[in-house]
Amino acid sequence: MTCEEFKRVLPELGSGHGIEQEEHLKSCCACSDLVADLNAISKEARFLQGSEDPSPWVWNSIEVALRQEGLIRQPQLHPQTPAPLLGWRLRWLVPLAATLLMVFGVLIYQRGTGQPQMSEQHSPPAGVVTANLQPADVMGGEDLQLLKTVGERTPSMRATYEADLRSVNAYIRDAEQSAHSDPNDEVAQQYLRNAYEQKAMVYEMALDRSLP
Amino acid sequence: MTDAKKRQGDGLSEADAIERAKQGDAEAFESLYNLHKRRVYSLCLRMTANTAAAEDLTQEAFLQLFRKIGTFRGESAFSTWLHRMAVNVVLMQLRKKGLPVVPLEENIETEEETPRKEPGADDPRLAGSIDRMQLQRSIASLPPGYRMIFLLHDVEGYEHNEIAEMVGCSIGNSKSQLHKARMKLREILKTSRAEKATKP
Amino acid sequence: MQRATSYAVGLIVVFAALAAAQTTRQEMHFKVARRASVSIVNQYGAISVKPAPGKVVAINAILYSGKVEVDHSKGRRRVAVFSHLLEGADAQTGRVDYEVLVPADASVTLHSTTGPLHVEKLRGDMMVEGSTASVDVRDVSAGHIHIKTLNGPVTVTNVSDGLVEITSVGGDVALNSVNGSLVHVNTSSGKIHYDGDFGDGGDYSLTTHSGDIEAIAPAYASIEVVARSVQGTVEKDFPLQPEHTSFVPRAGSAFAGTMGEAASSVKLLSFSGKIHLKKR
Repeated sequence: MTCEEFKRVLPELGSGHGIEQEEHLKSCCACSDLVADLNAISKEARFLQGSEDPSPWVWNSIEVALRQEGLIRQPQLHPQTPAPLLGWRLRWLVPLAATLLMVFGVLIYQRGTGQPQMSEQHSPPAGVVTANLQPADVMGGEDLQLLKTVGERTPSMRATYEADLRSVNAYIRDAEQSAHSDPNDEVAQQYLRNAYEQKAMVYEMALDRSLP
Repeated sequence: MTDAKKRQGDGLSEADAIERAKQGDAEAFESLYNLHKRRVYSLCLRMTANTAAAEDLTQEAFLQLFRKIGTFRGESAFSTWLHRMAVNVVLMQLRKKGLPVVPLEENIETEEETPRKEPGADDPRLAGSIDRMQLQRSIASLPPGYRMIFLLHDVEGYEHNEIAEMVGCSIGNSKSQLHKARMKLREILKTSRAEKATKP
Repeated sequence: MQRATSYAVGLIVVFAALAAAQTTRQEMHFKVARRASVSIVNQYGAISVKPAPGKVVAINAILYSGKVEVDHSKGRRRVAVFSHLLEGADAQTGRVDYEVLVPADASVTLHSTTGPLHVEKLRGDMMVEGSTASVDVRDVSAGHIHIKTLNGPVTVTNVSDGLVEITSVGGDVALNSVNGSLVHVNTSSGKIHYDGDFGDGGDYSLTTHSGDIEAIAPAYASIEVVARSVQGTVEKDFPLQPEHTSFVPRAGSAFAGTMGEAASSVKLLSFSGKIHLKKR
């Protein structure tokens, strides 16, 4: 085997050499040196794996994005907290509020398809979705849990959140009564939607780890 | 040390961290990041030869991983899964920029085109004398296609069939480019050593 | 007595000097691509955002004690800065004031508890969220302005071609010369004051539970308006053309009608507050 022939097959050899190539290497210093050098480069390169550290802000940036995307979520509530009302957990209230908003969105949409706005009938027309609402308590179990969480994290804000929850609950209560008394009333439905939007916002802000 | 048993100083194993990260635990995410950040970042840095780009790509690779962590079922090692994701992120970025990921099948440089260095008594072997910093610099100066294949094979340990699948070339091309990358590095390192030897 | 006074003054001077010595300034500059997004999370302290030429985000932070740090992260189109409270920090020691210069087309996200928050002369989207922070947004155009507050007062001035959404529990909301395709304000007990043209053929909805609504419009306003208060009173200074609608006006608690070409839709809704549509 000549040096030219050896170099031609060298890329295909990998870590193993055939008998012919071994014989050539035994007799040719140049090719032997070449193979040794290439192996040394390959061996040394392995030490470069994972040898650099990124700057600390890379993690900070990742963490910010994870929080914004909701991939970092609140830890489980302490097991000793009282069982929430109706088996719902605190963290479900925000999507619940959003779901209720969507329900009312459906209601409003169906109103917009030409059903009587201020009809004298009291039962909703066929095909109209009405949410089976429970009257809003002044301060339900979920609200108390939220206040407990706020009180543990930022005691100074507890009074603010309590006052705001009372205000928003009163809004929901009045809006629900208005909507119940006339399910076809678009304005009443908008009040109710707005009231739930307020409640969802209060929960969002209380549970948002970016703010105390 | 298996993946499952890898532990950080705080005692959180990788397996535990993965499960907790699926639940949205911030500490678990950070733990996984700290376990793998060096390898991912080093890969990105060597592939792009640019610190800012490498940090962006590291960020993107981990974010993609964490977004999909709920789907990880443990069929492969977590590090393999992450690493493959990092490579894909880098390759996608290079493709977006229109940079060549790997040269075409035809060789860009042939043996006849490169100046031949005649072996001689004053040209000892590199083995045992490769300066790691010099090697890093030399890798950074490789053409992008050569650098890509070299990093994936010799630094990161991928096999040619895996590299071919990732970068979209043939196995033969992967082997050929790797050989050329090593030859080029040999030339650069020898030149550098010769220059140092002649300096007073 | 004089001695006691001068002693007290001396103490004040020493305290102020000590306090001043504790404050530190931190400056950061980031190069960004077009339409970058900038986010500042700051529990305690002011954030002021203004435009500057070029593609640079410049941040000047004043930290009021060693119990707070400023961290940041950056991507090609993203800058995020946050105040990191250390053990024992409170509203005074954890305070950081930010002055931020951004490209005019940047989108901005600000979070703060105490604020105040100020944004001016930008064209990008903005999301401003505060608990008790006062929010002041002025001279912006063509962006989506989203403001959320618990009890901080909100003032939005001189907005054109915008989308404005404001949700406040108890904070009063004042809109001056605000026009856009959508202007929605929703408060629980906060008062709503609007002084503008209701222009741009937009959808304006000012709703509150128990707050009052005062809307001041010119005689040339082109609107289709509905106003209702379930338990409060409603007044209007304009004669309105009746519109064919199923909405039943009730004297003193509801009215509906049009002015001009009825280009914009205006809803003024309060459950128990007063509503007054005034002529400018």
